[in-house]
Amino acid sequence: MDTFLQQLANGLTIGSMYALVALGYTMVYGVMRLINFAHGDMVAASAFVGLTIYTQVLGQAVSLGAVIAIFLLSAVVMAAVGVILERIAYRPLREAPRLSAVVSALGASLVIQNGIMLIWGPQMRIFPELVPQVYWDFGGVVISLIQVIILVLSLVLMVALYLFVEKTRMGAAIRASSIDQDAARLMGINVNSVIALIFIIGSSLGAVGGLFIGLYYRGITFNMGWQYGLYAFVAAIIGGIGNIPGAMLGGMLLGLFNAFISGYVSSTWSDAFTFILLIIILIVRPTGILGERVAEKV
Amino acid sequence: MKRCTRTILAATVAVLLAVPAFAAETLKVGVQAPITGSYANEGQGIENGVRLLAEQINAKGGVMGRQIEVITCDDQGTAMAAAICAKDLVNKGVSMVIGSYTSTCAQAAQKTYFDAKVLQTSDGTADGLTEHGYWTFLRNSFPNSAEAEFAANYMVNVKKYKRIVVLSDFSTYADGLANATEAAIKKLGGNVVSRDKIKADSQNFTPVLTNMKSKNPDAIFFAGYYSDGGQLRAQQLALGIKADFIGGDANDNPDFVKLAGSAAEGAFILNVPSPDVLPYAVAKTFIADYQKKYGIMPASIWGLMNIDGMRAIIHGMEQTKSFDTKKVSDYLHNLSEPLPGITGPIAFAKDGNRKGGAYVVKKIQADGTYSNEYVQ
Repeated sequence: MDTFLQQLANGLTIGSMYALVALGYTMVYGVMRLINFAHGDMVAASAFVGLTIYTQVLGQAVSLGAVIAIFLLSAVVMAAVGVILERIAYRPLREAPRLSAVVSALGASLVIQNGIMLIWGPQMRIFPELVPQVYWDFGGVVISLIQVIILVLSLVLMVALYLFVEKTRMGAAIRASSIDQDAARLMGINVNSVIALIFIIGSSLGAVGGLFIGLYYRGITFNMGWQYGLYAFVAAIIGGIGNIPGAMLGGMLLGLFNAFISGYVSSTWSDAFTFILLIIILIVRPTGILGERVAEKV
Repeated sequence: MKRCTRTILAATVAVLLAVPAFAAETLKVGVQAPITGSYANEGQGIENGVRLLAEQINAKGGVMGRQIEVITCDDQGTAMAAAICAKDLVNKGVSMVIGSYTSTCAQAAQKTYFDAKVLQTSDGTADGLTEHGYWTFLRNSFPNSAEAEFAANYMVNVKKYKRIVVLSDFSTYADGLANATEAAIKKLGGNVVSRDKIKADSQNFTPVLTNMKSKNPDAIFFAGYYSDGGQLRAQQLALGIKADFIGGDANDNPDFVKLAGSAAEGAFILNVPSPDVLPYAVAKTFIADYQKKYGIMPASIWGLMNIDGMRAIIHGMEQTKSFDTKKVSDYLHNLSEPLPGITGPIAFAKDGNRKGGAYVVKKIQADGTYSNEYVQ
């Protein structure tokens, strides 16, 4: 039972990181019908940006204030990068065939990945120990402070995003644009600002995810974005791509699934099982768990 | 017409590029190492060392009048890139290759060098590397089997652990070392409660560690690389597993301590003696030159092992007064007296293994420094 509960706690921690990253995928897909393959690399970039902010701007101070400042500054920087990315790589192709935009996304992914390598070097960079190593032992199940922070902060951000999209006028504009951009435009919605807003939110959430990776695992490499991007992409599809609660659910489920498969079956084959799960979901429920069946727009 | 001109122009440029400049003939030395990727730190260390040594030799007039030209190929620590590198370096006409850092990469490239009669020296420790009978391969480190026996003896007879977990990744080196250690522990009557594997670079090791926890081990022997080892150690303590952590030689890198953070304290690492404690005169001057040129200490002992391999080959060329790799290899396999090296005396057994070798167990202190815990 201890082992089960421990795997559960681990799975939820990893799952909430996947969920944060998956939100970026799902929101961009929801409005633009574009798989933003550069998103995973943005997540990796944010970890490096956070590290640089810590060493260069904050002068390596270890305090709660410093941690909060890293999160806020990185989110602002990555939001700006996200908006620029959309302007350069996606906006010129908005009327072009969908494949062009996907190719552009793959190109952007390579540019960002190599950009990280050029700026920060090819070797692994190491995050400082910013969160004290505090653990609580609940009868054999050990939970660390960093896990609690990741879980709570992710849930708060996800609920806030959900409320924003469902309850505010801006959120209504996002939902309208995701249904039909032309109709939304006729209703007086500035679709360009909606898309910029989506990139701002998605990149900031990705930045938080990237910093969590840095704080939790400590070691960051220029090419790690691919792995997290892939998992988050799978999470978004499992939950129903384009659907915000779906991305959260998908991320959490994927994290748990990975933890249990690695724990009880084989850690070697966890990736293979992840993709088997993806295939099964695509066969049984092609729109994902929470996705709704919509007529395909061609 | 315009297109036609452009094609001719392009073709001319291509031909010009393909024809090498007619300078004096150089001695081409290939570096095959992970310049990027998870082990970039080590790969760059190898390249830096080779370039420094080449510079020093060139300043003294080169090898029998030939200046050394260093050609680097980045194998990224992956077998596929290593195989491509091997072809590439052979095509570029190297007569010796220094590297690679990992056994997997050294192995993937071995056959190509053998076929092309190019000497290769690597710090790869997998036993398999010297089992093919390639006369071109010279190991400049010590094989896993030697380390496995030392590790098993330390855990079973010195520390008297009752419940040992053996953990590795899937690489040629790590898997080989772990299997050899497991066998050696059993031979000494020790108790291996579990033999697990992790996927290198996957960062999240909690599932495997959680399962390990239920077996209540008192020691975890990790054969694998520092980039995973540091994170494993941190996650091990985070899960409340009190067992001693004993890392194999590839954990001996400053990044291990940085990755593990405060969890590094108390971890044990096995290796041959580290660069800063090397007692040899040639080591002291080379390391001082290295620090002067690059502003840092060599990343680890591994880069220096490779430099010793290169020194041995050049020594062989000078002694045989020949660039014929077969003659040099024959000479090196039959050294009557070991060559004084940076990492200790260098001599090669008939199969290409390096002879001799001592090991130490180092314990990481609270401030991240090492203290020698046990010396063989």
